[in-house]
Amino acid sequence: MPFGTGRMIFEGFAGPPFRNLFKLGIGTELFYSFVIITCSLMVYYGTKELYELSSYKGIKYFRQAFLFFAVAYFFRSIIKFLLLYFGLNELINFSPITFGAFGLLTQLLFVYFSSMAIFYLLYSVMWKKWNQSSYNIYLLNIAAFVIAFVSILSKNHFVHFGLNVFLLLIVIFVVYVSYKNKKKGHNLYLIYLLWSIFWILNIIDILIPNLFQGLQLFIYIASTITFLLILYKVIKNVGAN
Amino acid sequence: MAKRGKLEIMQNILNIIQQNHSSIKITPLIRRSNMSSTRFKKYYLELLEKGFINEISSHKNKLVSLTEKGERFLERYKTIINFIKEFEL
Repeated sequence: MPFGTGRMIFEGFAGPPFRNLFKLGIGTELFYSFVIITCSLMVYYGTKELYELSSYKGIKYFRQAFLFFAVAYFFRSIIKFLLLYFGLNELINFSPITFGAFGLLTQLLFVYFSSMAIFYLLYSVMWKKWNQSSYNIYLLNIAAFVIAFVSILSKNHFVHFGLNVFLLLIVIFVVYVSYKNKKKGHNLYLIYLLWSIFWILNIIDILIPNLFQGLQLFIYIASTITFLLILYKVIKNVGAN
Repeated sequence: MAKRGKLEIMQNILNIIQQNHSSIKITPLIRRSNMSSTRFKKYYLELLEKGFINEISSHKNKLVSLTEKGERFLERYKTIINFIKEFEL
């Protein structure tokens, strides 16, 4: 090993960009992403046998929602890493010739998978009430792509915020309609509602990073609790298998 | 509701086979499943396609037997139904 290589490696990792990275809490970000991805994949694989045996569409959409959440969180981690590493506030601050295109593609995929995850979750509850056409899924995919494209094409924070508030309103409407028709109270809808709220806050946190300064830890803890709650309900029902 | 009904019908057919020492002739199976032969055929073909049952031809008779996957379905049936109810799927 050439003389001084160790120092160069150390400086490479603890130089200005990486110093910034650790200062901003990459550990918290990684741990948070790890917990959410693990929870989502545990739900996805934990319900695999139930779906294989029953071929029940509701279980299929429910599982898809968690798979898409896991993928979305993976892309979210990449975005967070890039932002922390380069000490930037937003992806649009990247130079197009360095990480600009990569950052935008990651953002596109993150918003697409996030939106689809929410759509799948809603569809898993509503598929029987809707016209059971396979076109519904295509339409939801198109809607998710449109949302993702608008999020990367628009540099206006109000558009990002408005889109996500619109998504949240859809969730609230669907949850309200489903809840209204129930004779007895069902805490699942409350969990879904909280979960969607925190999920959308997570999306806004990526698109408009300065909006929730100081509230980030609260959003992370609340999101983790809702994910763990759903994982607990799944494990309780599916069993040790 | 239609699909949950479908799962229940599949469970009923598989249960009849299991109660008959895991193999039964097709005619008594249709009779005991309380379905029209057209309706029965639809579910029967689906059970065959999913690998829950097997057809065994011995001499002049055609026997229907339960596979390992079919037995697993019966074991997990209650879990599947409870899961669907719990998550309102």
